[in-house]
Amino acid sequence: MVNKQIDIDNTLVLRLLRRFIKPEYYEDIAGDLDEQINSYRIHKNLIFWWLWKEVILLLHPALLRPFFKFGKLKNSNTMLINYLRIASRQFKKYKMNTAINLIGLSTGMAACILIFLFVQDELSFDRHHEHAEDIYRVTVQNFDTDGAMNRHWAFASAGHAERLKADYPSITHAVRFFPWAFPDLEYGDQRFPGEPVIFADDDVFDIFSFPFLLGSPETAFNDIFSLVLTEESAIRIFGNDWAEQDLLEKTLKLTARGQEFNFKITGVMEDMPDQQHFHFEYLAPLRLVEQAMGEETMNNVGGNYNWLTYIRTAPNADMASLTESAVGFWEKYVDPIRGRPSSDFYKFQFQPLLDIHLRSNLEGEYETNGSIDQVYIFSIVGILLLIIACVNYMNLSTSHFTRRLKEIGVRKVLGSGKSALVTQFLVESTLITIMSLPIALLLVWLALPAINDFLEKSLTLNLIDNYLLILTLFSLLAIIGLLAGLYPALFLSRLGTVQSLKGKLAASPSKWNFRSVLVTVQYAVVLGLIFALTVIESQIDFIRTSDPGYRKEAIIDLPLSRSMENLETFKTQLLSYPNIEAVAYSSRIPTGRLMDSWGARFFKGDEAVDLDFRLPGIMVDEDFLDTYDITLAAGTDFQRQMDTFADSIGYYIINRSAAEALGYPNPNDIIGENISYGPYKGRIYGVTEDFHFESLHSPIVPMVMMKSSSRLRRASILVNTQRLPETLQHIESTWADFDPVNPVEYRFVEDRFEDQYVQEQRLSQMINVFTVVAILIGCLGLVGMVGFLIDTKTKEIGVRKVLGASVANVLGLIGAHFTILIGVAFVLITPIAYYLMNDWLETFVYHIDMGVLIVLLPVVIVMVITAFSIGFQTLKAALDNPVKSLRTE
Amino acid sequence: MGDYQLGEFEEIVLLTVAVLYDHAYGVSIKEEIEQKLGRKVSTGALQTALRRMENKGYLDTQWGEATSVRGGKRKKYFMVTPFGKKALDHVQESRQKLWKAIPKIAFDFGK
Repeated sequence: MVNKQIDIDNTLVLRLLRRFIKPEYYEDIAGDLDEQINSYRIHKNLIFWWLWKEVILLLHPALLRPFFKFGKLKNSNTMLINYLRIASRQFKKYKMNTAINLIGLSTGMAACILIFLFVQDELSFDRHHEHAEDIYRVTVQNFDTDGAMNRHWAFASAGHAERLKADYPSITHAVRFFPWAFPDLEYGDQRFPGEPVIFADDDVFDIFSFPFLLGSPETAFNDIFSLVLTEESAIRIFGNDWAEQDLLEKTLKLTARGQEFNFKITGVMEDMPDQQHFHFEYLAPLRLVEQAMGEETMNNVGGNYNWLTYIRTAPNADMASLTESAVGFWEKYVDPIRGRPSSDFYKFQFQPLLDIHLRSNLEGEYETNGSIDQVYIFSIVGILLLIIACVNYMNLSTSHFTRRLKEIGVRKVLGSGKSALVTQFLVESTLITIMSLPIALLLVWLALPAINDFLEKSLTLNLIDNYLLILTLFSLLAIIGLLAGLYPALFLSRLGTVQSLKGKLAASPSKWNFRSVLVTVQYAVVLGLIFALTVIESQIDFIRTSDPGYRKEAIIDLPLSRSMENLETFKTQLLSYPNIEAVAYSSRIPTGRLMDSWGARFFKGDEAVDLDFRLPGIMVDEDFLDTYDITLAAGTDFQRQMDTFADSIGYYIINRSAAEALGYPNPNDIIGENISYGPYKGRIYGVTEDFHFESLHSPIVPMVMMKSSSRLRRASILVNTQRLPETLQHIESTWADFDPVNPVEYRFVEDRFEDQYVQEQRLSQMINVFTVVAILIGCLGLVGMVGFLIDTKTKEIGVRKVLGASVANVLGLIGAHFTILIGVAFVLITPIAYYLMNDWLETFVYHIDMGVLIVLLPVVIVMVITAFSIGFQTLKAALDNPVKSLRTE
Repeated sequence: MGDYQLGEFEEIVLLTVAVLYDHAYGVSIKEEIEQKLGRKVSTGALQTALRRMENKGYLDTQWGEATSVRGGKRKKYFMVTPFGKKALDHVQESRQKLWKAIPKIAFDFGK
């Protein structure tokens, strides 16, 4: 006897079976299933899946109960064929109408499919790692004395990984990634300068799943001089036939910081997929870096946040309590700061791997991440476009219902029930939806290359393996077919029999029917999109034209290689060319980020006060301010011979914000005062006007510029843009004289400036495209709608004209209808759109205000578009001879 | 005369019902086929075949006992009807005819 019965009768799956299967079959089939489960023939863990599989396979037509009552009648197929035939005749007869519907539906669908592909791609980031759910990135938050968060680094210190793993049992693995010194790589007589070799801890392969094409993760890091390639780097070094070359026997020579190492190749991994938030081409054991950097550096726990660190936890670890107890980590390892526990100032935040791509935008992200907002925005836009397309279909098919009146009447007289009529019109809408699908797919296929190029993605329309896409397509068909067809179906089937036969328009006695609601919805969507677009465009324009406070035109940014020596001579050589007007060296340049704040103190007389605000800075030479045309508000520029590091005396220029923050509203008063920055005490020589060193997303902060002659790794070259090719040629050849090994790489500062707003420009262009699509579909709807409106008003227009109305009066009559609809849509959508766009603008510290003009512009645009789409038909109706319209019966 | 429609799987099921004689019901038929012929059978495929043949008149059914292992639900036993027997005969005969019609030389792969 079986004592522990599993009762499956009330499970969802069995209820499903009972619902769909012929009642006389249920008992013994369910009994059979029961018996197989309870006689232990199915493994306990598999019961659920097995049951579902079996039940789904049981849904065979021979076993199901009939779905529809009329299915019992033998003529259901005949009726279906009849519906299809009538539908195809309708499509043929009203070609214009069919074309409009096809264009509308297929464009809407295509946009939806594209958006789906984009969203699917964004959401798939990092999911391919087997332990993705249990991987976290260790990030460090830094707080002010008053508890406000000051910085949040995507990186941890060198000593964190090891200690976290040792101290917290729920952390089972930890890995650090470190791009040590991008070495030059040699194989035979080939040389690859500055290859991005990344050093990683041995745990790396236990945390991330990197499939190996050659070698194995277990043996990859056995030797300290191991190097794992990816397919891409293998091809680069060994050519396309690397797989035939016995790579595991080969060594590569790496040169870094004057040292030479021979690395044994221990494996080749698959290229890291696009959908991963970091991409490495070489991995080598971090043990080597540990040896090279020494114990002191490697044990650092409170600074030098340069180590990209990930941990893997035990499955389902309680992260909240881990974060909580990690507070103790700081107190254990880092001394109190200014008499307060270090945990007041620092805190770990463990970011789930799966959140990094979409929800993290920290300082120094390894690669540019996506944004969840963008995913939301596009999803919403996709749904809106779908709605517009459906609304369009509803509008068109109900507008032309007069054409179908007689048909409906005859059907009713012959005994067609309401449900049969509904079925008929649903068949029609489904048919046209199915017809639009291939067109939509074609459009997507055509648009994909451009979209990929634009988004820097590699989306594909894979109709074989992408099950989710296939499922989406089918649901799109079902949803559109139903959504678009339901209203027309209900509307048309409701018409009275006798009136239909007579061809009288008994329906829609009121002017403001459901169709007006539909048009209003369309208007609202279009208005909203145009509004969003206007705001984004104005903001981008504001950024482009606003003065950042420095010169960005005609300056070339030239990062200097490590082997570059004799910078003074290099500068002189460059300047000897007539079209080069100025050269400045600095540690960083505007459009980048400022260096982390050093500890700073301000001297009031003899008394030194710690600064209570951050003072990030850069190091510059004496030509920096001139080259960038940054205005001095007070004081003087640096002299050439000043050198903070050589003299151990500070030479400083601060910006106006810094002067104000120090309590000097008049910059002249602070000149000559003393400040110490890091270990260097020195004078403030000048105060500049504020300028946007960083992008307009962040506010202008107090900053300091320090004069030095070393640690300046960037040259900014101001050129005369006439004869630019020759000038660039000169720069390149001069470079080759000083550094024959490394290639020269430069960019215009203006391009870097634009790059800061690349996300916004992308958003704007995408919304631009979708707005055009929405307007296009919307216009198609309007054309249909106005046709209907004029149809119903022919007589009225005739009578009015006979009674003396002018053409203008008639135009006004039709126009007023649409104006009211636009007005309602405007009132509905503006508050929502205003709120949303205001949110978006808040992401910029410096932004435009949405004035009356921006709010009203969309309305004007929509009015003009409406006038164009309905103008012709309306004018024709208004000009028609009233005698003609009155005579029609 | 009669037009006996019998698919390959249906034939197997019908034969198995005959083999099991008076205790042919869903689970036993399924397991018999799985054991004897070594092929996986889903409940859905089996039931579809059974009900079809029932409708065609090849099979007769009778309610059986309910056991606790079946959650108190009765078994349904299947029996081959004389008409079903005829269908099986017909299939066998047609096969036999074809076998007999094969000239010896067709299978003479010797040489």
